[in-house]
Amino acid sequence: MTQQLLNQEFEGILGQLKSYLVRITASVADAEDIAQETYLKAAEKISTFRGESSLKTWLFTIASNLAKDNLRAKKRWPESVSDITKAAALANKQFIQESIHIRNTSPNGQFEAKEHIAFCFTCISKSLPLEQQLCLFLKEVYGFKVNEIAAILDTTEAMVKYYLHTGRSKMITVFDGRCALINKQGVCHQCSELNGLYNPKQNTQEELMKIELVREAEKGDKEHLFDLRMEILKGIDPFTSKASELQLHHLEHNRQVMEKYLEEKAV
Amino acid sequence: MKRITTFLTSLSIMVSSATAQTEKASTERTTFHRTTSVSIEIKADSAIVWSLLTKASDYPRWNSTVTSIEGNIALGEKIKLKSTLDAKRTFKLKIKEFVPDRRLVWGDGQGNRVYTITNNGNGMLTFTMTEKIGGLMFPMYAKMIPSFDQSFEQFASDLKKEAEKIMSTK
Repeated sequence: MTQQLLNQEFEGILGQLKSYLVRITASVADAEDIAQETYLKAAEKISTFRGESSLKTWLFTIASNLAKDNLRAKKRWPESVSDITKAAALANKQFIQESIHIRNTSPNGQFEAKEHIAFCFTCISKSLPLEQQLCLFLKEVYGFKVNEIAAILDTTEAMVKYYLHTGRSKMITVFDGRCALINKQGVCHQCSELNGLYNPKQNTQEELMKIELVREAEKGDKEHLFDLRMEILKGIDPFTSKASELQLHHLEHNRQVMEKYLEEKAV
Repeated sequence: MKRITTFLTSLSIMVSSATAQTEKASTERTTFHRTTSVSIEIKADSAIVWSLLTKASDYPRWNSTVTSIEGNIALGEKIKLKSTLDAKRTFKLKIKEFVPDRRLVWGDGQGNRVYTITNNGNGMLTFTMTEKIGGLMFPMYAKMIPSFDQSFEQFASDLKKEAEKIMSTK
């Protein structure tokens, strides 16, 4: 393996790697730092790469090891993160003004419910134990196989299967109880509320019905709905999407709110 | 000779399957004790079964006999278990043995429940659950304690179903 090949491969997966890291850490700065550190470590150890896995798997292994040591990645949030951060946002005029400014001025400041669905999953998945969260993202969003995830996370295939199954079951239950897009009794209507705020001229219901997850909701197949939610995440790069600046601004806000919340709770 | 070996192997598989199908709990009674036990064969990795048995908060998701378990299932820890067997009662139990992937024991002053996992070496394992209750006062309240048989069979069946489902994850 040459430095040149490493550079080519790294460049090819950098978008996916950063997307994975920001979803794990909920921090743009930490995701960029870990991505950079991943490259430096890979370059340093390139002579030890034996090709037993793909280079992409090897790079995700380095990144995941760094992420597992990252304090922000380790922090676990409650399932009610959306309620906590919504209350904080409504009480923070500066945050709302900044958000509307981004919406009105940035080419990456559009609001789309799909992007919010992906953002929402990022936040709520932090209520899972870290191993479950890592396995879910690696399998469902970044397309790794069970044996590759076992190599990335240095665990057994059996445990990867356990983490995948339990993580998936937990997320299905949480979203079924919360998300009004898939359950009329769901308590969270943030997609609709935010669409009304950022896209006041749109018919929100019509916009929501453009999303397959919403259209399929009535059939009530929870496993299928979860797969459709994961399809949405797969299709969105949080750093380059049309809503990236707005959603990353929201993520930064949520992370700060949750860090404060966890600190206060620990006292 | 080869035919005989093949026949014996088939017979052994049939016997083994029959054992796995049985899944019937059995109870032995003496004046001062009652012991209920159930065994079941599971086609899964022992780490999966162990993880299911030791993740307290996850029990109600897969185990229809447990309403809730509060606390941490680890050596020396105390847990509070609510079961469908006696919905009004909370069992306060201590984790007495904790040997990963092999043996878990919890109990109180009246008895112990022992879970064992034995690898059979062919991708199968045998899960056994035994509970012995009793003591000097046991004859006075023995009739008030319901049979565990059905609940044990259901526990074992739920565990098998969930572990094998996880094992089949692609």
